[in-house]
Amino acid sequence: MEKIKYLIIGGGVAGTTAAETIRQQDPTGSCAIVSDEPYRLYSRIMLSKPNFFLEKIPFDQIWLKSADWYTQNNIMLIAGKRATALDTKAKTVTLDDGASIAYDKLLIAAGSCVRKWDIKGADKQNIFYLRALDDAKQIIAKVKTTKRAIVVGGGFVGFEMCDMLRLAGIDVTLVIREPHFWDPLLDELSGKRIEAALERGGVKILCNSLVTEAVGGDAVQGAILHNDSVLPADMIVVGIGTYCPLDWTAGSGITTNRGIITDEYLTTNASDVWAAGDGAEFNDVILGEQIQLGNWANAQMQGRIAARNMCGAHEQFRLVSFYVTGGFGITIAFAGDIRPAEGREIVARNAADGNSLSRIILKNGKIIGATMINNTKELAVITKLIEKGAPMEHNRDKLSDPLFDLKTLL
Amino acid sequence: MAKIKKIVVDRNLCIGAASCVLTADTVFELDAENKAIIKLKGGVKSAEPAEKGTLEDEAVSDDTLLTAAQSCPTRAIFLYDEDGKQVYP
Repeated sequence: MEKIKYLIIGGGVAGTTAAETIRQQDPTGSCAIVSDEPYRLYSRIMLSKPNFFLEKIPFDQIWLKSADWYTQNNIMLIAGKRATALDTKAKTVTLDDGASIAYDKLLIAAGSCVRKWDIKGADKQNIFYLRALDDAKQIIAKVKTTKRAIVVGGGFVGFEMCDMLRLAGIDVTLVIREPHFWDPLLDELSGKRIEAALERGGVKILCNSLVTEAVGGDAVQGAILHNDSVLPADMIVVGIGTYCPLDWTAGSGITTNRGIITDEYLTTNASDVWAAGDGAEFNDVILGEQIQLGNWANAQMQGRIAARNMCGAHEQFRLVSFYVTGGFGITIAFAGDIRPAEGREIVARNAADGNSLSRIILKNGKIIGATMINNTKELAVITKLIEKGAPMEHNRDKLSDPLFDLKTLL
Repeated sequence: MAKIKKIVVDRNLCIGAASCVLTADTVFELDAENKAIIKLKGGVKSAEPAEKGTLEDEAVSDDTLLTAAQSCPTRAIFLYDEDGKQVYP
Protein backbone atom coordinates (compact mmCIF):
# COMPACT_ATOMS: atom_id res chain seq x y z
CA MET A 1 0.00 0.00 0.00
CA GLU A 2 1.23 3.42 -0.90
CA LYS A 3 1.96 5.74 1.99
CA ILE A 4 1.59 9.48 1.63
CA LYS A 5 2.83 11.92 4.23
CA TYR A 6 0.15 14.53 3.50
CA LEU A 7 -3.03 13.15 2.00
CA ILE A 8 -5.73 15.62 0.96
CA ILE A 9 -9.27 14.57 0.07
CA GLY A 10 -10.70 17.25 -2.21
CA GLY A 11 -9.12 19.12 -5.12
CA GLY A 12 -10.98 22.40 -4.80
CA VAL A 13 -9.59 25.65 -3.49
CA ALA A 14 -9.30 24.43 0.11
CA GLY A 15 -7.44 21.24 -0.78
CA THR A 16 -5.22 22.79 -3.43
CA THR A 17 -4.31 25.81 -1.31
CA ALA A 18 -3.43 23.34 1.44
CA ALA A 19 -1.13 21.39 -0.89
CA GLU A 20 0.54 24.61 -2.02
CA THR A 21 1.03 25.71 1.58
CA ILE A 22 2.40 22.31 2.62
CA ARG A 23 4.98 22.56 -0.16
CA GLN A 24 6.14 25.90 1.17
CA GLN A 25 6.59 24.37 4.64
CA ASP A 26 7.89 20.96 3.66
CA PRO A 27 9.57 20.85 0.23
CA THR A 28 10.03 17.10 0.14
CA GLY A 29 7.31 15.27 2.11
CA SER A 30 5.03 13.31 -0.20
CA CYS A 31 1.71 15.02 -0.86
CA ALA A 32 -1.33 13.79 -2.78
CA ILE A 33 -4.73 15.26 -3.60
CA VAL A 34 -7.68 12.98 -4.29
CA SER A 35 -10.37 14.72 -6.33
CA ASP A 36 -13.66 13.21 -7.44
CA GLU A 37 -13.63 15.49 -10.48
CA PRO A 38 -11.42 14.68 -13.47
CA TYR A 39 -9.90 18.17 -13.43
CA ARG A 40 -7.16 20.21 -11.88
CA LEU A 41 -8.08 23.24 -9.76
CA TYR A 42 -10.53 25.56 -11.41
CA SER A 43 -12.44 28.61 -10.26
CA ARG A 44 -15.69 27.24 -8.90
CA ILE A 45 -16.79 30.77 -8.12
CA MET A 46 -16.60 31.61 -11.82
CA LEU A 47 -19.01 28.82 -12.69
CA SER A 48 -22.08 30.90 -11.95
CA LYS A 49 -20.83 34.13 -13.51
CA PRO A 50 -22.52 35.34 -16.70
CA ASN A 51 -19.27 36.34 -18.43
CA PHE A 52 -18.05 32.78 -18.16
CA PHE A 53 -21.32 31.20 -19.27
CA LEU A 54 -21.78 33.49 -22.20
CA GLU A 55 -18.17 32.82 -23.23
CA LYS A 56 -17.23 36.48 -23.00
CA ILE A 57 -14.04 35.38 -21.32
CA PRO A 58 -12.01 32.48 -22.68
CA PHE A 59 -13.02 29.13 -21.21
CA ASP A 60 -9.43 28.42 -20.20
CA GLN A 61 -9.56 31.27 -17.70
CA ILE A 62 -11.38 28.80 -15.47
CA TRP A 63 -8.10 26.97 -14.71
CA LEU A 64 -6.31 28.30 -11.64
CA LYS A 65 -3.38 25.89 -11.85
CA SER A 66 -1.56 24.67 -14.92
CA ALA A 67 -1.27 20.95 -15.54
CA ASP A 68 2.47 21.31 -14.91
CA TRP A 69 2.00 22.97 -11.55
CA TYR A 70 1.28 19.66 -9.84
CA THR A 71 4.32 17.86 -11.21
CA GLN A 72 6.60 20.87 -10.71
CA ASN A 73 5.59 20.98 -7.05
CA ASN A 74 5.72 17.23 -6.64
CA ILE A 75 2.04 17.09 -5.71
CA MET A 76 0.30 13.93 -6.87
CA LEU A 77 -3.18 14.62 -8.27
CA ILE A 78 -5.38 11.54 -8.11
CA ALA A 79 -8.25 12.88 -10.22
CA GLY A 80 -11.62 11.30 -10.90
CA LYS A 81 -11.50 9.17 -7.75
CA ARG A 82 -13.73 9.34 -4.72
CA ALA A 83 -12.91 8.41 -1.15
CA THR A 84 -15.27 5.72 0.06
CA ALA A 85 -13.95 4.75 3.48
CA LEU A 86 -11.72 6.10 6.21
CA ASP A 87 -9.94 4.18 8.94
CA THR A 88 -8.43 6.62 11.42
CA LYS A 89 -6.77 3.86 13.47
CA ALA A 90 -4.96 2.18 10.59
CA LYS A 91 -4.66 5.69 9.01
CA THR A 92 -5.90 4.66 5.58
CA VAL A 93 -8.36 6.01 3.03
CA THR A 94 -10.04 3.68 0.54
CA LEU A 95 -10.96 4.96 -2.92
CA ASP A 96 -13.82 3.96 -5.19
CA ASP A 97 -11.47 1.92 -7.39
CA GLY A 98 -10.65 -0.24 -4.37
CA ALA A 99 -7.18 1.21 -3.81
CA SER A 100 -6.14 2.13 -0.30
CA ILE A 101 -3.74 4.90 0.60
CA ALA A 102 -2.01 5.17 3.96
CA TYR A 103 -1.38 8.63 5.38
CA ASP A 104 0.64 10.32 8.09
CA LYS A 105 -1.59 13.39 8.07
CA LEU A 106 -4.98 13.72 6.45
CA LEU A 107 -6.94 16.79 5.37
CA ILE A 108 -10.60 16.38 4.54
CA ALA A 109 -11.53 19.17 2.15
CA ALA A 110 -14.18 17.32 0.18
CA GLY A 111 -16.59 20.22 -0.18
CA SER A 112 -20.32 19.92 -0.59
CA CYS A 113 -22.80 18.49 -3.09
CA VAL A 114 -25.96 20.02 -4.47
CA ARG A 115 -29.25 18.95 -3.01
CA LYS A 116 -31.23 17.28 -5.77
CA TRP A 117 -34.91 17.37 -6.53
CA ASP A 118 -36.90 14.36 -5.48
CA ILE A 119 -40.05 15.32 -7.40
CA LYS A 120 -41.62 13.32 -10.21
CA GLY A 121 -39.81 13.89 -13.50
CA ALA A 122 -36.64 15.17 -11.82
CA ASP A 123 -34.52 12.82 -13.93
CA LYS A 124 -35.49 14.38 -17.26
CA GLN A 125 -32.85 15.87 -19.51
CA ASN A 126 -32.12 19.60 -19.35
CA ILE A 127 -32.70 19.84 -15.64
CA PHE A 128 -29.44 21.20 -14.30
CA TYR A 129 -27.70 21.81 -11.01
CA LEU A 130 -24.69 24.03 -10.74
CA ARG A 131 -21.80 22.75 -8.69
CA ALA A 132 -19.05 21.38 -10.84
CA LEU A 133 -17.40 22.20 -14.14
CA ASP A 134 -19.26 19.40 -15.94
CA ASP A 135 -22.57 20.92 -14.82
CA ALA A 136 -21.50 24.27 -16.20
CA LYS A 137 -20.42 22.76 -19.53
CA GLN A 138 -23.86 21.24 -19.99
CA ILE A 139 -25.61 24.50 -19.14
CA ILE A 140 -23.35 26.48 -21.50
CA ALA A 141 -24.30 24.13 -24.33
CA LYS A 142 -28.02 24.18 -23.57
CA VAL A 143 -28.30 27.96 -23.19
CA LYS A 144 -27.57 28.33 -26.89
CA THR A 145 -30.86 26.70 -27.94
CA THR A 146 -33.08 27.67 -25.03
CA LYS A 147 -35.96 30.10 -25.33
CA ARG A 148 -37.65 29.64 -21.97
CA ALA A 149 -36.05 28.69 -18.69
CA ILE A 150 -37.12 28.15 -15.11
CA VAL A 151 -34.79 28.88 -12.20
CA VAL A 152 -35.72 27.27 -8.90
CA GLY A 153 -34.46 28.68 -5.62
CA GLY A 154 -33.71 32.13 -4.27
CA GLY A 155 -30.07 32.47 -3.35
CA PHE A 156 -26.77 33.36 -4.96
CA VAL A 157 -27.00 30.61 -7.57
CA GLY A 158 -30.58 31.55 -8.43
CA PHE A 159 -29.71 35.23 -8.72
CA GLU A 160 -26.64 34.65 -10.86
CA MET A 161 -28.36 32.10 -13.10
CA CYS A 162 -31.22 34.53 -13.73
CA ASP A 163 -28.68 37.18 -14.71
CA MET A 164 -26.87 34.85 -17.09
CA LEU A 165 -30.07 33.56 -18.72
CA ARG A 166 -31.49 37.07 -19.21
CA LEU A 167 -28.21 38.26 -20.73
CA ALA A 168 -28.53 35.32 -23.11
CA GLY A 169 -31.94 36.64 -24.16
CA ILE A 170 -33.91 33.81 -22.57
CA ASP A 171 -37.35 34.19 -20.96
CA VAL A 172 -36.85 33.40 -17.28
CA THR A 173 -39.28 32.50 -14.52
CA LEU A 174 -37.86 32.27 -11.01
CA VAL A 175 -39.74 29.96 -8.67
CA ILE A 176 -39.09 30.39 -4.96
CA ARG A 177 -40.70 28.59 -2.07
CA GLU A 178 -40.32 31.47 0.38
CA PRO A 179 -42.48 34.60 0.59
CA HIS A 180 -39.60 36.76 -0.67
CA PHE A 181 -36.13 36.43 -2.11
CA TRP A 182 -33.59 35.03 0.35
CA ASP A 183 -36.02 34.66 3.21
CA PRO A 184 -35.11 34.21 6.05
CA LEU A 185 -31.54 35.49 5.60
CA LEU A 186 -32.88 38.80 4.28
CA ASP A 187 -35.85 40.73 5.56
CA GLU A 188 -38.77 41.56 3.33
CA LEU A 189 -37.52 45.05 2.45
CA SER A 190 -34.14 43.77 1.20
CA GLY A 191 -35.66 40.70 -0.44
CA LYS A 192 -38.25 42.72 -2.30
CA ARG A 193 -35.54 45.13 -3.37
CA ILE A 194 -33.69 42.30 -5.07
CA GLU A 195 -36.92 41.08 -6.61
CA ALA A 196 -37.57 44.54 -8.02
CA ALA A 197 -34.15 44.49 -9.68
CA LEU A 198 -34.79 41.02 -11.11
CA GLU A 199 -38.19 42.10 -12.42
CA ARG A 200 -36.77 45.24 -14.00
CA GLY A 201 -34.34 42.91 -15.72
CA GLY A 202 -37.22 40.92 -17.16
CA VAL A 203 -37.39 37.98 -14.73
CA LYS A 204 -40.86 36.77 -13.78
CA ILE A 205 -40.90 35.82 -10.10
CA LEU A 206 -43.26 33.39 -8.41
CA CYS A 207 -42.94 33.52 -4.61
CA ASN A 208 -44.59 31.04 -2.21
CA SER A 209 -44.38 28.56 -5.06
CA LEU A 210 -43.26 24.97 -5.41
CA VAL A 211 -42.59 22.86 -8.46
CA THR A 212 -44.36 19.55 -7.89
CA GLU A 213 -43.50 17.80 -11.15
CA ALA A 214 -41.22 18.19 -14.14
CA VAL A 215 -43.00 17.24 -17.34
CA GLY A 216 -42.03 16.39 -20.91
CA GLY A 217 -40.66 13.45 -22.85
CA ASP A 218 -37.04 12.44 -22.30
CA ALA A 219 -36.27 16.12 -22.12
CA VAL A 220 -38.06 18.51 -19.84
CA GLN A 221 -40.74 20.67 -21.43
CA GLY A 222 -42.07 22.38 -18.36
CA ALA A 223 -42.99 22.28 -14.72
CA ILE A 224 -46.21 21.82 -12.84
CA LEU A 225 -46.56 24.08 -9.82
CA HIS A 226 -48.30 23.50 -6.48
CA ASN A 227 -51.43 25.23 -7.79
CA ASP A 228 -51.52 22.94 -10.85
CA SER A 229 -50.49 25.72 -13.20
CA VAL A 230 -48.01 24.68 -15.88
CA LEU A 231 -44.89 26.61 -16.81
CA PRO A 232 -43.37 25.68 -20.16
CA ALA A 233 -39.56 25.56 -20.28
CA ASP A 234 -36.71 24.15 -22.37
CA MET A 235 -34.43 24.00 -19.36
CA ILE A 236 -34.62 24.22 -15.58
CA VAL A 237 -31.79 25.22 -13.26
CA VAL A 238 -32.31 24.06 -9.70
CA GLY A 239 -30.46 25.77 -6.85
CA ILE A 240 -32.03 24.53 -3.64
CA GLY A 241 -29.03 24.16 -1.42
CA THR A 242 -26.10 21.92 -0.66
CA TYR A 243 -25.11 19.19 1.76
CA CYS A 244 -21.85 17.57 2.76
CA PRO A 245 -21.46 13.92 1.86
CA LEU A 246 -20.16 12.33 5.05
CA ASP A 247 -21.23 8.72 4.64
CA TRP A 248 -17.69 7.70 3.68
CA THR A 249 -16.46 8.75 7.12
CA ALA A 250 -18.99 6.49 8.88
CA GLY A 251 -17.34 4.18 11.37
CA SER A 252 -14.14 6.23 11.39
CA GLY A 253 -14.91 7.74 14.75
CA ILE A 254 -14.75 11.26 13.36
CA THR A 255 -17.38 13.50 14.91
CA THR A 256 -19.76 14.98 12.38
CA ASN A 257 -22.89 17.05 12.43
CA ARG A 258 -23.89 18.73 9.16
CA GLY A 259 -20.18 18.90 8.48
CA ILE A 260 -17.02 17.54 10.06
CA ILE A 261 -16.57 19.02 13.51
CA THR A 262 -13.26 20.78 14.12
CA ASP A 263 -11.81 23.09 16.71
CA GLU A 264 -10.40 26.52 15.94
CA TYR A 265 -7.21 24.91 14.63
CA LEU A 266 -9.30 22.92 12.13
CA THR A 267 -8.31 19.67 13.80
CA THR A 268 -10.92 16.95 14.09
CA ASN A 269 -11.31 14.65 17.08
CA ALA A 270 -9.25 11.98 15.27
CA SER A 271 -5.51 12.28 15.59
CA ASP A 272 -3.69 13.60 12.52
CA VAL A 273 -6.94 14.47 10.73
CA TRP A 274 -7.90 18.04 9.83
CA ALA A 275 -10.85 19.45 7.90
CA ALA A 276 -11.22 22.61 5.81
CA GLY A 277 -13.63 24.29 3.43
CA ASP A 278 -17.36 23.85 2.93
CA GLY A 279 -17.34 20.53 4.76
CA ALA A 280 -15.75 21.81 7.97
CA GLU A 281 -18.01 22.78 10.84
CA PHE A 282 -15.45 24.70 12.81
CA ASN A 283 -15.18 26.68 16.01
CA ASP A 284 -15.26 30.28 14.86
CA VAL A 285 -13.29 32.25 17.43
CA ILE A 286 -14.65 35.58 16.22
CA LEU A 287 -18.28 34.53 16.53
CA GLY A 288 -17.74 32.16 19.43
CA GLU A 289 -19.85 29.55 17.66
CA GLN A 290 -19.53 26.29 15.79
CA ILE A 291 -20.29 27.25 12.19
CA GLN A 292 -20.14 25.86 8.67
CA LEU A 293 -19.69 28.15 5.67
CA GLY A 294 -19.70 27.61 1.94
CA ASN A 295 -17.70 30.32 0.25
CA TRP A 296 -14.43 30.83 -1.57
CA ALA A 297 -12.65 33.05 0.94
CA ASN A 298 -13.41 30.71 3.81
CA ALA A 299 -12.27 27.62 1.89
CA GLN A 300 -9.04 29.22 0.67
CA MET A 301 -8.03 30.55 4.07
CA GLN A 302 -8.95 27.34 5.88
CA GLY A 303 -6.87 25.32 3.42
CA ARG A 304 -3.91 27.55 4.24
CA ILE A 305 -4.29 27.40 8.03
CA ALA A 306 -5.04 23.66 8.14
CA ALA A 307 -1.92 23.00 6.06
CA ARG A 308 0.30 25.05 8.34
CA ASN A 309 -1.05 23.16 11.32
CA MET A 310 -0.48 19.85 9.53
CA CYS A 311 3.14 20.94 9.21
CA GLY A 312 3.48 21.57 12.92
CA ALA A 313 2.14 25.08 13.50
CA HIS A 314 -0.56 25.85 16.03
CA GLU A 315 -2.50 28.65 14.37
CA GLN A 316 -6.09 29.56 14.98
CA PHE A 317 -8.34 30.08 12.00
CA ARG A 318 -9.64 33.64 12.10
CA LEU A 319 -11.58 35.08 9.21
CA VAL A 320 -14.68 37.16 8.80
CA SER A 321 -16.26 35.40 5.88
CA PHE A 322 -17.89 37.28 3.03
CA TYR A 323 -19.53 36.85 -0.34
CA VAL A 324 -20.34 39.49 -2.93
CA THR A 325 -22.27 39.29 -6.15
CA GLY A 326 -23.66 41.70 -8.67
CA GLY A 327 -26.21 41.70 -11.45
CA PHE A 328 -29.34 43.46 -12.65
CA GLY A 329 -27.75 46.77 -11.69
CA ILE A 330 -27.36 45.96 -8.00
CA THR A 331 -24.72 44.47 -5.73
CA ILE A 332 -25.38 42.11 -2.86
CA ALA A 333 -22.82 41.49 -0.12
CA PHE A 334 -22.95 39.30 2.95
CA ALA A 335 -20.33 39.44 5.70
CA GLY A 336 -19.88 37.36 8.83
CA ASP A 337 -22.78 35.47 10.34
CA ILE A 338 -26.11 36.54 8.91
CA ARG A 339 -28.21 33.61 10.08
CA PRO A 340 -31.35 34.62 11.87
CA ALA A 341 -31.35 33.27 15.40
CA GLU A 342 -32.63 34.14 18.82
CA GLY A 343 -30.88 36.90 20.65
CA ARG A 344 -29.80 38.72 17.51
CA GLU A 345 -30.64 42.32 16.91
CA ILE A 346 -30.74 43.89 13.49
CA VAL A 347 -29.92 47.54 12.92
CA ALA A 348 -31.09 48.93 9.58
CA ARG A 349 -28.65 51.22 7.83
CA ASN A 350 -30.50 52.49 4.79
CA ALA A 351 -29.60 55.41 2.57
CA ALA A 352 -32.11 58.25 2.63
CA ASP A 353 -32.66 57.93 -1.11
CA GLY A 354 -33.39 54.23 -0.68
CA ASN A 355 -30.55 53.21 -3.00
CA SER A 356 -28.58 51.17 -0.51
CA LEU A 357 -30.06 48.89 2.13
CA SER A 358 -27.86 47.41 4.83
CA ARG A 359 -28.64 45.37 7.91
CA ILE A 360 -26.07 45.15 10.66
CA ILE A 361 -26.54 42.12 12.89
CA LEU A 362 -25.63 42.33 16.56
CA LYS A 363 -25.27 39.58 19.13
CA ASN A 364 -24.53 40.42 22.75
CA GLY A 365 -24.00 44.00 21.67
CA LYS A 366 -21.29 43.13 19.12
CA ILE A 367 -21.49 43.17 15.33
CA ILE A 368 -21.39 39.62 14.00
CA GLY A 369 -22.63 40.07 10.45
CA ALA A 370 -24.16 42.31 7.84
CA THR A 371 -26.16 42.16 4.64
CA MET A 372 -25.62 44.95 2.15
CA ILE A 373 -27.43 45.85 -1.03
CA ASN A 374 -25.60 48.47 -3.09
CA ASN A 375 -23.22 49.12 -0.23
CA THR A 376 -20.06 47.11 -0.92
CA LYS A 377 -18.06 50.25 -0.15
CA GLU A 378 -18.69 49.53 3.53
CA LEU A 379 -17.89 45.81 3.29
CA ALA A 380 -14.26 46.22 4.36
CA VAL A 381 -14.98 48.44 7.36
CA ILE A 382 -17.85 46.25 8.53
CA THR A 383 -15.74 43.09 8.38
CA LYS A 384 -13.11 44.91 10.42
CA LEU A 385 -15.73 45.87 12.99
CA ILE A 386 -16.85 42.24 13.19
CA GLU A 387 -13.26 41.09 13.60
CA LYS A 388 -12.62 43.71 16.28
CA GLY A 389 -15.68 42.67 18.26
CA ALA A 390 -16.00 45.99 20.06
CA PRO A 391 -19.18 46.63 22.05
CA MET A 392 -21.75 48.57 20.07
CA GLU A 393 -24.51 49.01 22.66
CA HIS A 394 -24.05 52.76 22.68
CA ASN A 395 -23.47 53.10 18.95
CA ARG A 396 -26.75 51.85 17.55
CA ASP A 397 -27.76 55.33 16.39
CA LYS A 398 -24.41 55.66 14.61
CA LEU A 399 -24.78 52.29 12.94
CA SER A 400 -28.22 53.26 11.67
CA ASP A 401 -27.04 56.62 10.31
CA PRO A 402 -25.88 56.03 6.71
CA LEU A 403 -23.96 59.29 6.78
CA PHE A 404 -21.95 58.29 9.85
CA ASP A 405 -18.42 57.16 8.93
CA LEU A 406 -18.10 53.66 10.37
CA LYS A 407 -14.31 53.86 10.16
CA THR A 408 -14.33 56.11 13.20
CA LEU A 409 -15.61 53.15 15.26
CA LEU A 410 -12.50 51.09 14.45
CA MET B 1 10.33 38.13 -5.26
CA ALA B 2 11.04 41.09 -7.49
CA LYS B 3 9.68 44.44 -6.34
CA ILE B 4 6.19 45.21 -7.56
CA LYS B 5 5.97 48.28 -9.76
CA LYS B 6 2.64 48.08 -11.56
CA ILE B 7 -0.84 46.75 -10.71
CA VAL B 8 -3.47 45.92 -13.31
CA VAL B 9 -7.06 44.79 -12.78
CA ASP B 10 -8.62 43.06 -15.79
CA ARG B 11 -12.22 44.29 -15.69
CA ASN B 12 -13.41 41.50 -17.96
CA LEU B 13 -12.16 38.92 -15.51
CA CYS B 14 -13.13 40.74 -12.33
CA ILE B 15 -16.32 39.35 -10.86
CA GLY B 16 -16.42 41.60 -7.81
CA ALA B 17 -15.79 38.84 -5.31
CA ALA B 18 -14.09 41.47 -3.12
CA SER B 19 -11.22 39.24 -1.98
CA CYS B 20 -8.73 41.96 -2.92
CA VAL B 21 -10.74 44.58 -1.05
CA LEU B 22 -10.72 42.50 2.11
CA THR B 23 -7.00 41.77 1.78
CA ALA B 24 -5.86 45.27 0.82
CA ASP B 25 -8.63 47.78 1.40
CA THR B 26 -6.21 50.70 1.20
CA VAL B 27 -5.55 49.77 -2.44
CA PHE B 28 -8.73 48.26 -3.86
CA GLU B 29 -12.42 48.95 -3.71
CA LEU B 30 -15.44 47.93 -5.76
CA ASP B 31 -17.10 50.46 -8.04
CA ALA B 32 -20.78 50.78 -8.92
CA GLU B 33 -20.43 47.98 -11.49
CA ASN B 34 -19.03 45.72 -8.78
CA LYS B 35 -15.56 45.71 -10.35
CA ALA B 36 -12.33 46.32 -8.48
CA ILE B 37 -10.74 49.73 -8.93
CA ILE B 38 -7.47 51.10 -7.58
CA LYS B 39 -7.27 53.94 -5.07
CA LEU B 40 -4.77 56.59 -6.16
CA LYS B 41 -3.39 59.68 -4.48
CA GLY B 42 -5.74 62.60 -4.13
CA GLY B 43 -8.80 60.39 -3.72
CA VAL B 44 -8.77 59.37 -7.39
CA LYS B 45 -10.26 55.93 -8.18
CA SER B 46 -8.93 54.30 -11.32
CA ALA B 47 -9.77 51.31 -13.46
CA GLU B 48 -6.50 51.80 -15.36
CA PRO B 49 -3.14 50.14 -14.68
CA ALA B 50 -1.47 51.89 -11.75
CA GLU B 51 2.14 52.33 -10.74
CA LYS B 52 2.78 51.60 -7.10
CA GLY B 53 4.16 55.10 -6.52
CA THR B 54 0.83 56.64 -7.52
CA LEU B 55 -1.21 54.66 -4.98
CA GLU B 56 -2.92 56.45 -2.16
CA ASP B 57 -1.21 53.87 0.04
CA GLU B 58 2.12 53.78 -1.73
CA ALA B 59 3.69 52.20 1.36
CA VAL B 60 1.58 49.05 0.98
CA SER B 61 3.83 46.01 1.17
CA ASP B 62 4.48 43.82 -1.85
CA ASP B 63 3.42 40.92 0.30
CA THR B 64 -0.04 42.43 0.81
CA LEU B 65 -0.40 43.12 -2.91
CA LEU B 66 0.64 39.57 -3.74
CA THR B 67 -1.75 38.11 -1.17
CA ALA B 68 -4.56 40.22 -2.63
CA ALA B 69 -3.78 39.02 -6.15
CA GLN B 70 -3.52 35.40 -5.01
CA SER B 71 -6.85 35.63 -3.23
CA CYS B 72 -8.66 36.60 -6.42
CA PRO B 73 -10.83 33.67 -7.51
CA THR B 74 -10.57 34.63 -11.17
CA ARG B 75 -6.94 35.76 -11.21
CA ALA B 76 -7.97 39.19 -12.45
CA ILE B 77 -5.13 41.06 -10.72
CA PHE B 78 -1.81 41.23 -12.55
CA LEU B 79 1.38 42.40 -10.88
CA TYR B 80 4.50 43.54 -12.72
CA ASP B 81 8.01 44.25 -11.49
CA GLU B 82 10.36 47.13 -12.28
CA ASP B 83 11.50 45.43 -15.49
CA GLY B 84 7.93 45.08 -16.68
CA LYS B 85 8.00 41.36 -16.02
CA GLN B 86 4.76 39.75 -14.84
CA VAL B 87 5.16 38.65 -11.21
CA TYR B 88 1.66 37.23 -10.81
CA PRO B 89 -0.21 35.20 -11.92
